[in-house]
Amino acid sequence: MKRSSIILLAVVALLIGALLVTLQDASIYATFDMAKKQQPETVTVVATLDLDSPMDFDPKASILTFQAIDKDGQRSVVRYNQPKPTDFERSEEITLTGHYTDSAFIATEILMKCPSKYTDGEGINPDAIYTDNQPST
Amino acid sequence: MHYLGEHSFWSTLGRLFVALSFAGALIAAFFYGIQAFRTPAEREERPVLTLRRAARWAFGLHSIGVLGTIAILFTALFNHWFEFDYVWRHSSLDMPMQYIASCFWEGQEGSFLLWLTWHMILGWVLIRTAKTWEYGTLFALSLVQLFLASMLLGIYLGDIKLGSSPFILIRELPENLGLPWTEMSDYLMRIPAFRDGQGLNPLLQNYWMVIHPPTLFLGFAAVTIPFLFAMTGLFERRYTEWVLPALPWTFFGIAILGTGVLMGGAWAYEALSFGGFWAWDPVENSSLVPWLTLVAAGHLMMVVKHKKTAPATTIFLAILSFLLVLYSTFLTRSGILGDTSVHAFVDLGLNGQLLALLGFFTLGSLGVFFWHQRHMPKSASEDAFSSREFWMFIGALTLLLSAAQITFSTSIPVLNKLIGPDGLVPILQTQMAPPADAAKHYNSLQIPFALIISVLMGIAPFLRWKETPKELSRRVLWSAGLTLILTALVAWGLQLTEVLYIGLLGTALFAFLANADYWLRFLRGKWTAGGMALAHLGFALVLIGALISNAKKEAISTNATFIHQDFPANENILLPQSDTVSMYPYYVSWKAERTEGHNRVFDVEFYEVDMPLASWADGERNHLKTAFTLHPFIQMNARMGNVREPSTQHFWNKDIYTYVSYADLRSEAEKSGDWKEPMEASLKTGDEVFLFNTYLLHGDTLVVEDAAFDPTTGELTHLDLALSLTLKGMDGSQYPLVLPYHLDGNNVENAEVEWADLGIKIRFDGVKDEDGTYGITAWEKKSNDPPFILMQAFIFPYINLLWLGSILMGVGSLLAVWKRIYRSLNEGKK
Repeated sequence: MKRSSIILLAVVALLIGALLVTLQDASIYATFDMAKKQQPETVTVVATLDLDSPMDFDPKASILTFQAIDKDGQRSVVRYNQPKPTDFERSEEITLTGHYTDSAFIATEILMKCPSKYTDGEGINPDAIYTDNQPST
Repeated sequence: MHYLGEHSFWSTLGRLFVALSFAGALIAAFFYGIQAFRTPAEREERPVLTLRRAARWAFGLHSIGVLGTIAILFTALFNHWFEFDYVWRHSSLDMPMQYIASCFWEGQEGSFLLWLTWHMILGWVLIRTAKTWEYGTLFALSLVQLFLASMLLGIYLGDIKLGSSPFILIRELPENLGLPWTEMSDYLMRIPAFRDGQGLNPLLQNYWMVIHPPTLFLGFAAVTIPFLFAMTGLFERRYTEWVLPALPWTFFGIAILGTGVLMGGAWAYEALSFGGFWAWDPVENSSLVPWLTLVAAGHLMMVVKHKKTAPATTIFLAILSFLLVLYSTFLTRSGILGDTSVHAFVDLGLNGQLLALLGFFTLGSLGVFFWHQRHMPKSASEDAFSSREFWMFIGALTLLLSAAQITFSTSIPVLNKLIGPDGLVPILQTQMAPPADAAKHYNSLQIPFALIISVLMGIAPFLRWKETPKELSRRVLWSAGLTLILTALVAWGLQLTEVLYIGLLGTALFAFLANADYWLRFLRGKWTAGGMALAHLGFALVLIGALISNAKKEAISTNATFIHQDFPANENILLPQSDTVSMYPYYVSWKAERTEGHNRVFDVEFYEVDMPLASWADGERNHLKTAFTLHPFIQMNARMGNVREPSTQHFWNKDIYTYVSYADLRSEAEKSGDWKEPMEASLKTGDEVFLFNTYLLHGDTLVVEDAAFDPTTGELTHLDLALSLTLKGMDGSQYPLVLPYHLDGNNVENAEVEWADLGIKIRFDGVKDEDGTYGITAWEKKSNDPPFILMQAFIFPYINLLWLGSILMGVGSLLAVWKRIYRSLNEGKK
C-alpha cells in the first residue's frame, strides 16, 4: 500500500473517531421529566423563569433557589450555586445545564437570553409626545 | 413633507453612497471579469488599457461609496443624530467620545462596513502590486464586495428584505410606518425619546472594543486574499504559480488574525468575568478555525513553492479558510447560536441573504476547484520520509482535523436545524445540546492535535526539502534531551499529574527549545531570517502558558464550609465590610465601596503575613502587611443590565484575578430607608422577649397618665398610656425608651419610636389582656445586616508566557512577511 493511502486512512479514522467522541460528549436538550429519569446524568434544559413563585438567594451560602418552567410546562425547583445572574428576572428564556437530584434540579451553568443583551428589541417609545400647548408625559 | 430638524438629506446621501459602492463593485466585477476570462495574449490586445482603466475606475467608485458611507455614519454618530435608527440604538449622549468608534462597529451593519473597508484597502494594494494577477483577484474581490455591500442596502424587493441600511430613520422602520407621529413634521421636537439614544452595551465600553474588531476584521479580510489568488490560479490554470504572490499575504493574515483572536482572549480575561481567557465559546471558536486552516494553507503553499507540483490540497485549504470566515459570519450573525453563546449578534432578518452569500461562494469556489482538479499537476513520486514537505503535509492534515472537530462541535445548533426533530430532515429524536463541560470536551480532543503539531514544529526547522541529511536531523537531539530534563523538572515543580498535560508540556517545551536552538545556533540570532523560528517559538509559549495557567488555575476564594450536599464546593468568599478574612495565601478585607461614573467600585485590600516563620494560624493576624489593593467593579446600567468586571494583580509569574460576584447594589438612601418585615410580640411588665436574635426587650412599667370615662355608658373615652421598656444588648448595654399611646374616642395615636443608633423602631399596640399583657410591633432596618460582598478570586500561574508567546508569534509572522516582500522587491531589481 502506498504511504499516502495509509495517511488518508489514518486521517479518515481519526476524523470519525473525533466526531463520535463529540457526539458522545454532546448533551441533550431535555425537559425536567427527562432529566429526572436520567439522573444523575447532566442535561441541558431550556426553560423560562417562573416569576410568580418565590425566588430566594442566600448570599451567605451563595445558593440561588428559584422555579423554572420547561417547554412542556413542567415546573421544577432549581438550585444554582452561584450568585444570581444580573438581570435574571428580565430573561426571556434560560438555558440550564445540570442534573437532577432527589430534591431539585441542580444547575451548574445558566445562560440567559435577554431581549436587551445587545440591542433593545423594543425600539423607540413614542407614547410620550408633547402636545401643542403644554408638555405632557 | 419636510421634517423639522431631521437630517433626511444625509440619510439619503448615505444610502446613495451604499448604492454607489454596490454598483461600483458590480461594474468592477464586470470589467475585471472580462479580462479575467481572456487569455494573457488577448489581454494584450488593444482594449487592454481601456478595460483595465474602466475596471479600476469602477473599483474607485466603489471605494468612494465605502468611504462616503463611513464618513456619514461617523458624522451621524458624532453629532448624535438620534433620528437615525443605528445612531439611536448604538450611542447615547453621556458616552465618552472615544467610544464613538466602538458604536460604529457594535452593530451588524457597522461591522459589515468595517470588513468592506479593509477589503477595499487591501484591494488597492493588490491593484498596485499584483501585476498579472490583478484581473482575477480583483474580479473575485469585487464579487465578494458586491455581496457585502448588498448587506447594507436596506431595500425591499417585493417582500424580500435586501440588506439592512445603517441610515434608516426610525420613522421609516417597518413597525413605525403609518403611525400618527410619523406624520408630524416636528416629531423630533415633540417626542422626548429622540433626545438620547440607547447607548453602547456596557460590556463593550472599553478600549478593547476600540482595537479588537478592526484587528479581527483586518485578519478576516487578509484571509480573503489567498483565496483570491487561489481562485485566479484555477481560472487561469496557473495552479502552482499563485502561491508566490499569495505567500506574504497568507503570513500577514496569520499574524493579524492570530493577534485578533488572542486579543479577544485578552479582552475576555482583562475586562469580562468569564473566568479565563478562552471559554471555547462558539464565537471564539469560529474565528479560531479559519486561522488554523490558514496556517495549514500557508505551510503547504511553501511546499508547492518548492515542489512546483501537487497543489490540490493547498488550493483547497486556501479556499476553505475563506469559506470558514463566511461560515463564522453566518454563525455569529444569523442568531442561530442564540442558545449557546453569550456573545452572538441578534438576528436582523438577513439569514436568507447570509445563506446566499455562503452558498454562492461555497458552491462556486468548490465547483471551480473540483472542475479543475483533474488538470492539476500531480507529484510523480512520493515525498521522502525524511523530507520537510512530508512532515509539513502531516502537520497541515492535523490542523485540518483539529479545525474540523472544532467546527463540528460548534455547529451543533446548525445540525439541530438540519437533522433535529424540527429540522429539514428529521433524523434525531431530541435536540442535541453542546457538550455540558465545553472546556473538558475541547481539551480532551484538541490536546492530542496540539501534541502532534508541537512535535512537528520542533523538528521541522531541522528538516530539509526533498531529503534531510542525517547529521542535520541528529542535531535536534540536543533539544530533545534538554526537553526531557526540563519537562520532568517543570511537571514536578508544578505537580502536574494528568498524562495529557505532561505530554503537551513536553512537546511544547521541545518546540520552544528546538526553535530557540535553531534560531541561535543556525541563524545566529538574526532577526531578518528568524521569522519562522520566532513564530514557532511564540506559538509554543502560547501553548505552555495556556496549559499551565489553565491546568493550575486555582480558586483561592473557595468556601470551605459545608453548605448543601449538592454543592460540595463554592468559589465565592463572603467579605463583610472592614472585616479581615483569611483567603490562603492572603488575608483580604473589603475596605470601601465607591461610585465612579457608571461603576460601583469595591476596594479590596490583600494582606500578606509579615512573619517569615509563621504557621498559618490565627496568631498571624497581628503580623499582616498590605500586599496590594484590587478594585473589581460592577458597571451599572439600568437598561442593559449590570456587568461584573474583574480586577487583576499581575506578577511576573502569576496573576491574582478577582471579581465581585454579589453585592447589594441599591443606593445608600434606598438601603437605609427600608425596614424589614415587622415582628410582633406580647409581654407583661417584668417579662423579657428576644428581638431579632440580638436584643432582649424588658418590659419595665406601664403607667396610666390620664384616663376619662363617659359618665353615662361607662366607656373609655380618653386614655394616655406610657410604656417604659429597656432594650438590652448582648454586650450588656441598655437602651431605655418610653412609648406613648393615646386614645381619643375611637382614634388611636401610637407613634412608632425609633432607636436611631440601633436601627430599630417599636410601636406600642395597646393592652391585649386583662392581666396586663400588652402587644408591641418592632421593625429592624434592612441595613442592620453588616454589608457584605461575595468575591471570587483565582490564581492564574505563568499566564504571562501566553501573552509573551502571542507577541513573539505576531512579530515572527510579520518578520516572515517582511522577508518575503523584501526578497520579491530585490528580485524585481535584478
